[in-house]
Amino acid sequence: MDKLIANLKVQIIEQLNLQDTKPEDIGDDQPLFNEGLGLDSIDALELIVLLQQHYKIKLSNAEDGPKVFKSVKTMAEYITEHQPKV
Amino acid sequence: MKTYIRATGNISPQKSFGHQFLTDVIEHTGDRLTCIEPDYKGIIDVKLIRRMSRIIKMGVAAAMECLQESGVTVPDAITTGTAYGCLEDTGVFLTKMVEHNEELLTPTAFIQSTHNTIGAQIALMLQCHHYNNAFVHRGFSFESALLDGMLLLVEKEANNVLVGGIDEITNISHSILRRMDLYKRQQISNLDLFTTKTKGTLAGEGAAFFLLANESSSNDYATLDALHTFYKPISIKETEQQIVSFLSAQSINVNDIDLIITGRNGDIQNDAVYDQLQRSIFKNNSAGNYKHLCGEYPTSTAFALWVAVNIIKTAVVPVVISKAIKNKPKKILIYNHYQNIHHSLLLVSAC
Repeated sequence: MDKLIANLKVQIIEQLNLQDTKPEDIGDDQPLFNEGLGLDSIDALELIVLLQQHYKIKLSNAEDGPKVFKSVKTMAEYITEHQPKV
Repeated sequence: MKTYIRATGNISPQKSFGHQFLTDVIEHTGDRLTCIEPDYKGIIDVKLIRRMSRIIKMGVAAAMECLQESGVTVPDAITTGTAYGCLEDTGVFLTKMVEHNEELLTPTAFIQSTHNTIGAQIALMLQCHHYNNAFVHRGFSFESALLDGMLLLVEKEANNVLVGGIDEITNISHSILRRMDLYKRQQISNLDLFTTKTKGTLAGEGAAFFLLANESSSNDYATLDALHTFYKPISIKETEQQIVSFLSAQSINVNDIDLIITGRNGDIQNDAVYDQLQRSIFKNNSAGNYKHLCGEYPTSTAFALWVAVNIIKTAVVPVVISKAIKNKPKKILIYNHYQNIHHSLLLVSAC
């Protein structure tokens, strides 16, 4: 899980072009939206694409979005739970 | 009714940002002139910068500098002209379409790739809900934005209008345009552009903004008296007639013009039009050039307008523009054609 969280932070920074943000600046439980990292609705779309591109996971239910993208940790938990078994 | 140019903001291949006016001319070598950009972090919110491509940052920063100088916080209207639009994001989006087999496309590049992104981004930053229009008409793009701005003022739809002309070169666009034989094959200095007498020009780019107003202030650059465009003239005679008619509509003739800024770009075929005019109707006029400083691009007239209004405001003609004139020009005619298809005339005067 720790490795997945670390990878996710790097991928989020790259996908969203978060200049001047380092992986260690993002807390595992820090909210990604609003008062946390300050992401917005366009970023949410980018995160959906990130899940599909890197982890082959399609977010089937849009209502799950706020729960899944609450923090890096919740994203990692969702990936662990839903990643296709090889 | 006169249109006043109250403020400018310009990012170009010269040191133009920060209201510098050709005091330190920059030499470029190769077949393209790239803009000298400021550090955007002091101008644009870092959270917004991360989504902006180079052309958006250039456009937004030039617009902000223009508004700051004008003292206008929210303009009554915003009009922008761009022929190519946001090419970098277009390239990113199309490349991803190919690489990912038309699936898993990221939204940001698509959203930011449209031609109206710059005008929209300026409006978003200013929370400006007023008239906002982007013009995409190849070599008439900036002229159309300018004309729209002038009409808004004349029709009293607005008291001030922010008008911009923006285009960028990207590696993808440059390699495509190069294949069309538009640019010099040999590596030359931009400052030698007019001495080579060969085929081809140098690619250019830039973002220039102007605050037009319908009332004078104590600090205007110049007045924009008239603007005219004409498409594919069939002969040099028609071009001459267009110029004469344009001036007579302003109740003047060529002898009243102190300086003509032409769109010479170093391509022998392109420049033949200017050569012929300088042997005929312009034979007694002082002439200057600007494309060796900014390169050739469809909205380069915006750079020419920036040059003209700065000459009037400072009462100095930089030697790099023209060696022929020493007096303070009060009336300047800009005549440019883009690939001998889109021809435009702009007349500016001292206030």
